[in-house]
Amino acid sequence: MLFNSLQYLVFLPTVFVLFWITPHRFRVPLLLVASYVFYMSWRPIYGLLIFGLTLGNFLLVPLIAKATEQKDKKWWLGVVVAANLITLGIFKYATFSLITVKDTLNLFGVQFREPHLHIILPLGISFFVFEFIHYAVEVYRGKPLVKKFFDFALFASFFPTQIAGPIKRYQDFIPQLDIPAKFKWQYLDEGMQLILMGLFKKVLIADNLALVSQAGFSHPGNFSSLDLWLITYAFAFQIFFDFAGYTDIARGSALLFGYKVPINFNLPYIASNVADFWHRWHISLSTWLRDYLFIPLGGSRCSQWKMYRNLFITMTLGGLWHGAAMHFLVWGAYQGILLIAHREYSRLLEKSGLAKSLLQSKIYHAVSVVVTFHFVCIGWVFFRAENMQDACAIISQLVQAPAALLHFSMQQLSVLQIRDPIVFPALLIILPILMIAQPVVNWLNDKRFYLSPPWALQVGVMVALMCLLTIFSPDSSPRFIYFQF
Amino acid sequence: MGASAPVTMANREAAGDLRHSCRESGDNCVVSCFLENFLTSRSVIASIIFAVVCGLAATFDFARVPAEKFPESTWTGWAIQDFLSAKSAPDVVFLGSSLVLVPVAGVDANFLNRRLDGSQHHQSAYFESRLKAKTGRAVRSFNFALPGEMPSDAYLITDFLLNRENKPKVVVYGLGPRDFMDNLLPNPGATDPYRSLIRFGDVSSMIDRMTPDWIDRLNFNISRTFYLYGLKQDLVAEWVQLASKQLSGLMPVPAGAKPYSVEQRRMLLPDYRPAELNRAEAYFRPSKAEHFADNLAEYKKRYAHVKWDTFTSQMRFFAELLDICQQRGIQVVIVSMPITDLNRSLIKDYSWEAYRKSVHVLSTVKGATFVDLQGTKTFNVSDFMDTVHLHSGGGKKMLDLVVEQMAQDKAVRTALELPELDNGSKNRSASSQSIPEKRVADAGRSAL
Repeated sequence: MLFNSLQYLVFLPTVFVLFWITPHRFRVPLLLVASYVFYMSWRPIYGLLIFGLTLGNFLLVPLIAKATEQKDKKWWLGVVVAANLITLGIFKYATFSLITVKDTLNLFGVQFREPHLHIILPLGISFFVFEFIHYAVEVYRGKPLVKKFFDFALFASFFPTQIAGPIKRYQDFIPQLDIPAKFKWQYLDEGMQLILMGLFKKVLIADNLALVSQAGFSHPGNFSSLDLWLITYAFAFQIFFDFAGYTDIARGSALLFGYKVPINFNLPYIASNVADFWHRWHISLSTWLRDYLFIPLGGSRCSQWKMYRNLFITMTLGGLWHGAAMHFLVWGAYQGILLIAHREYSRLLEKSGLAKSLLQSKIYHAVSVVVTFHFVCIGWVFFRAENMQDACAIISQLVQAPAALLHFSMQQLSVLQIRDPIVFPALLIILPILMIAQPVVNWLNDKRFYLSPPWALQVGVMVALMCLLTIFSPDSSPRFIYFQF
Repeated sequence: MGASAPVTMANREAAGDLRHSCRESGDNCVVSCFLENFLTSRSVIASIIFAVVCGLAATFDFARVPAEKFPESTWTGWAIQDFLSAKSAPDVVFLGSSLVLVPVAGVDANFLNRRLDGSQHHQSAYFESRLKAKTGRAVRSFNFALPGEMPSDAYLITDFLLNRENKPKVVVYGLGPRDFMDNLLPNPGATDPYRSLIRFGDVSSMIDRMTPDWIDRLNFNISRTFYLYGLKQDLVAEWVQLASKQLSGLMPVPAGAKPYSVEQRRMLLPDYRPAELNRAEAYFRPSKAEHFADNLAEYKKRYAHVKWDTFTSQMRFFAELLDICQQRGIQVVIVSMPITDLNRSLIKDYSWEAYRKSVHVLSTVKGATFVDLQGTKTFNVSDFMDTVHLHSGGGKKMLDLVVEQMAQDKAVRTALELPELDNGSKNRSASSQSIPEKRVADAGRSAL
């Protein structure tokens, strides 16, 4: 069931009404049933998978807490983490591993025909497996266990966050289940606003930009280097609005029941360096990677070389988490290299004794934002390209852009020659608006505009969004990009 | 794009801050809590305003466009516009899928010896000429055969368009087994013709058959309830047109460059507007030798596991089409279109028998003229361009046989206001004679 489908339009209000007319003690079981219905509407058999993992973790994790010796605790933690990762590995990486083995053996002239596994990736598995690992590690670190099975099962399967996060923390989520809440219109208002805004981002922005990136990334040879930059920008905004839209709908849906789930984005394209970008992009994943991969590897409290190694491993595995393909792995490694380069650059600046006033100037900040955005965009090429060959071809085209700019003419822009769909020629208007919108929203945030916007404005925006979404809703519901992960 | 503070352990209180402590207690609490903020709820007020906007838009017919002004150019759209723009009704209308469209238009390309634009050519000049030669009567024909047209679509064409001043005298409907047993079609409402045809009438009485899936029915009902939702395709088309005009001024095609053709765009975005057909995009060309294409793989998928729900539903639409024609005094000629033995071998015997018998029985019971080209064994594989579509040569043979039988059929002659033939024995089509009248009638009643 997709958030942008009619099924969800029926499902969500039904669960919402049932939830608020149900006595408090039955609400968790109700949401649990609803969450399993939501999950099994795709492939009923995979309901067993999420249930099995939930039960396994619920039974095994207490063994970590019960163990008195540290090495026993560690052993049980290893068992739980391995069980989760093996499950993820089988479903997500088995085929990829076999192909990689085959390709490697072929390099040495050894013929190997990999078996065809016919594995269908269960929706959301990467997200709920990470939530289970987080729970196990936190218990290992001395945090309390979840006593009630239904609470724990709902933590893993809660339908608003089940398929593509945000990755929740049980310490934040579970206590909310115990509060006997009474219905408040505020839940509906804030939830509806988020859902409408999320749908707007997905349906009106991301899905339209998807046409541009689909054409560009599947036929890069048909476009000039300047076109490919525009197409890459388009994808940068497509993936942002697609995932941010999904997250808004997830958060809005959760709010309808009075629950808060973490945010995932905070204006990532105004980041002034790559580290800042990762504090703003897919926050629930980046903090998970920090807490459960980077820090256990040694974090930054070690030698510089080791810290860089930890960064590189963390980001590369983070890339691989997105998908079992070489281009995701390379994207992750690229992010790792960027983070290391940024640290080195910062160190050099410090050493060079450049005037603080220059580093803190608005011009330097603006240039940093633009440069960071372009580095991130180059990363998106690896992320979006259908394979490494295409990614390399596109990158080699992109680097020719400065030369193309020297002899710039409008004829170089093929996007202006595609008049249908109109999003192609409109790119030259849409992209600058989207780029400018980020600092404008940031400015409004600073002014705390969103805390108390005028009542009439809120209603007006909601009515406008309802009308726009009614008119521009697609006949079929394109999937969210992050559903594949 | 707004961002708020992340929910972490540090601000657990913030997570709970939405939690409500009610001032009332007991049973009063629920009611008072519910009503407390009802009138100040932004989402409630916004929903009310939205409903009012929809109501006002419906009252004033906001942005409503004529039914024949389609948001997108398609085979169906072109055919309907052409049909409705004619000064008078045609005498003969052809219905059917590509099984009829391809040979009928292909024959004309050869007959007129020029390429014919598929979006614009909606007649059968060869048929008109042959019928005139055979009967001395000049008729005007209209080819309403469309790619993928199912009996449900043919029914809608008949019900919504072949009426009043647009009523023809004769309908020639070519049928093949795919029309009743296409596995690739999820439901009758999933065809391109359906999307265009529902603009011309109300399908609510048959919506459970057109879209058996509850979610499609819900979609239909929402589109009827919310004016803006029901009109969204037209509104989007209008908006795109307006935006295109503005963009042409702001972001024109660079001087010296040519806008992308539809073919170029289709290569880049194959899934964008799959049903689109533009003027001068699909031509039927004069040809002598035809290359035979093997499309068995496609038909294996179409025929695999016959869905009897689809079969009976489409057969019912077929029967209702015959009923409507009977009520309106339109004589129907059912042509059982030939397919190759290769294609026939993909269909299980009982499915094939069910198809053959049902079509024959219904046609006879409902007073249609039945022309059985499949049973004649006149056609062989050399008449086909693939395993089901006749090429122009096969099409010529097909039209010759159809004209031959129509010219001899009493009911058709009456409908076309032709003088009666002397020889009474020729008043029925050959295949109709092969089954005793009573048996057909009985079988027809049980089939229904």
